[in-house]
Amino acid sequence: MRATPFRLPRFKRFGSRLLVLIAGLVALAQVANYALVFRANRRNAIERIRANLDKGALLFTHRVNARLEDLSSRAALMSGDYAIRQLFLAEQIDAATVSSALETYRVRIGLPFMALLSADGSRLGDSGGGLAAAALAPFRGLVARAAESEEPQARGYARLPPDGPDGRLYALQVVPVYAPKPEIVAWICMALPIDNRFAGELKADAQLEVTFLYGSAGEMRPVESTLPSERLALEPARLEPGGSTVRLGAESFVTSVQPLPLVTPGRAAIALQRSLEAELEPSRLLERFLLILLLVSLGVAAMVAPWFARNLSRPLRALADHTGVIARGDYDTRLAIDRADEIGQLAASFNRMSEGLAERDRVRDLLDKNVSPEVAAQLMRDGGALGGEEREISVLFVDLRNFTRMSEPLAPKEVLAILNRYFDRMSTIVEVYHGIVDKYMGDAIMALFGAPVALPNHADCAILAAIEMKSALERFNAELATDGRGRLAFGIGINTAKVIAGNIGSSRRLNFSVIGDGVNVAARLQDLTRMSQYRADILVSAATLAAARGRYSVRPLGAAPVRGRDEPVEIFAVDGAGAPAAP
Amino acid sequence: MKLLLAIALLAAGAAAADAAGTVTVVTRDPAGKPVADAVAYLTPLGAPARVEPPAEPVAIVQRDQEFMPYVTAVVVGTRVAFPNEDTVRHHVYSVSPAKRFEIPLYIGDSKEAIVFDKEGIVTLGCNIHDWMVAYVVVLATPYFAKTGADGGAEVRLLPAGRYRLDVWHPRAGTVTREVAVADASDTTQIISVILRPDRRIRRAPDAGGPGYK
Repeated sequence: MRATPFRLPRFKRFGSRLLVLIAGLVALAQVANYALVFRANRRNAIERIRANLDKGALLFTHRVNARLEDLSSRAALMSGDYAIRQLFLAEQIDAATVSSALETYRVRIGLPFMALLSADGSRLGDSGGGLAAAALAPFRGLVARAAESEEPQARGYARLPPDGPDGRLYALQVVPVYAPKPEIVAWICMALPIDNRFAGELKADAQLEVTFLYGSAGEMRPVESTLPSERLALEPARLEPGGSTVRLGAESFVTSVQPLPLVTPGRAAIALQRSLEAELEPSRLLERFLLILLLVSLGVAAMVAPWFARNLSRPLRALADHTGVIARGDYDTRLAIDRADEIGQLAASFNRMSEGLAERDRVRDLLDKNVSPEVAAQLMRDGGALGGEEREISVLFVDLRNFTRMSEPLAPKEVLAILNRYFDRMSTIVEVYHGIVDKYMGDAIMALFGAPVALPNHADCAILAAIEMKSALERFNAELATDGRGRLAFGIGINTAKVIAGNIGSSRRLNFSVIGDGVNVAARLQDLTRMSQYRADILVSAATLAAARGRYSVRPLGAAPVRGRDEPVEIFAVDGAGAPAAP
Repeated sequence: MKLLLAIALLAAGAAAADAAGTVTVVTRDPAGKPVADAVAYLTPLGAPARVEPPAEPVAIVQRDQEFMPYVTAVVVGTRVAFPNEDTVRHHVYSVSPAKRFEIPLYIGDSKEAIVFDKEGIVTLGCNIHDWMVAYVVVLATPYFAKTGADGGAEVRLLPAGRYRLDVWHPRAGTVTREVAVADASDTTQIISVILRPDRRIRRAPDAGGPGYK
């Protein structure tokens, strides 16, 4: 394993690595899942709350407006009251009477304060009380605004009295007194308190905490709230218009602060809040479920991974063990892994390898000769040739004459070297002429032409090979001479006959060879080359010449007796290729 | 001799009549449409004109629960009666500074005519019928006329001289300009009047209306 910047634990066993990988991936996926769901829940909850807070703000505005509409209807009824007209018919409008009438009317419609202003804004009367002094100025402002507007009416929020700690939030409204419409002779001014009852109703309807904020100069502070006082005390010192999340003790409250524009000095706002934890309550169940799922899947992964690893590592170990078996030379034992996957394919390859090795061994055993791969392949193909076959072939024996004598003065190493060089040259020629070397016997070579690979012109090949060998020997002698060694001489005997060809030997050691009378004859012919009267290095039988198609320079030497045979054999000396020389 | 005197008087009268001028006032709104119920009056610059209220009272009738006419122009001191031709009672009132009065619920002829003794605009209403509204324009000059549907008003018998011409409409402010009248002249003044939206209560039978308008 490569070294990493972090100190990762190193696992030797494949099973451990797989366990860590699978368990790690499962854990990663589940944790990511849990985290995403957790985050999504939270985000959705906040968005939902924000939407509700916006609705809550709208609801507040609608409620205030609805209440004011209701009051304006009642004021309209009252302004048409005959008694009011009577007040206006007097030359001088009696302020005291007006004020006392307004006291009656304000009780009738449930307001803490009402006033009557003339068309030009001067005070005609009011219901008195603490609000009287502070309220007239904002009412005059509203009258001016109403006179300009399409529907002569105006409303706005005010804090009365504007200064001091006793100020409370009111919604003010002015409606005209007609005599008759469209002539406005006076304005009825009403003050609707926006108090805890208002906030409480809003909280009950919208499931939100409602807090009214006020600030005379810069920052705004809570003045009325549906929150219990200990919670309220935790509110931040300043709350500005907009959305935010505020921490009150253990809970987070998603907050929306909407400004309430005042017609009196100062700033006011309404803060709507909802607990995030309360909103998230239903999704807690899902999150708990996901946590359980995470742990269960981790457990399952921890159980499945080792089983899977074992499923992989056991056959791999078997494969590893099998290589030892092969190394020992046992090519016959096969792996018994029967699987369709890559492991199975690997096991099959192992078995094929064993087969291949066994085959090669067999080929070696069978031939025990340096045959070319093509010949070997051909032999493997027609296995019948190895089993035992009668065939007409040409057998060639070549024996060195004076090797022992020549090699006497030489060191053993050099003797072997020269001999092997000689063998090398001669065997190459045999192979060139499509024959094979059957065996080396001392300093003699026995070669076969026509077996195990069939050769139609085996006789010609044998003869040509012999002629070539003679030239090769001359060249070899030239080399030996430059080294200061003696000359070599040999004799070659060739016979063509039907023989039995096949693997000869025991089961442990087999040799491809031939047996038959024709073999002895070839050996005997080679022996006859010693007879000086023949003056021949190459002696062939009549059968060979008969089988040969080429023309050679031959000398008939009559019949010669062959040991082990009753009839003598006709022999010929081969001097070279081509037509015989003119006698 | 009597005949000669009569002819002389007639001639003098004719001559005098020819000496008076006429001012025709034509009112138009910004879109070019004629404006009805506008009161055009000319106040002489210099010596004030003599005002003589008519002997008979002017009537503003209540018919089909509406005041007729919508706009009435009178001189100071005119008596106005309010005959009720409806089968229901009406309670006529005004709280305008120029005349504050009320005639409690009555039917048929009003008990007495009301004397409009101060210059100014008086808005009339009915206490129990919110949609009923009318105007009385009390003037200190006898030279006045009300525009008809064609937007035109003719003020006749104007002695020569210079006048201030005012045109008033319930839904507009007063438009003022100076006018010179020569003997036997007949001039036309085209006055552009910008009207505010009509905010009178509609009597259409829409029961589901929001009520107070």
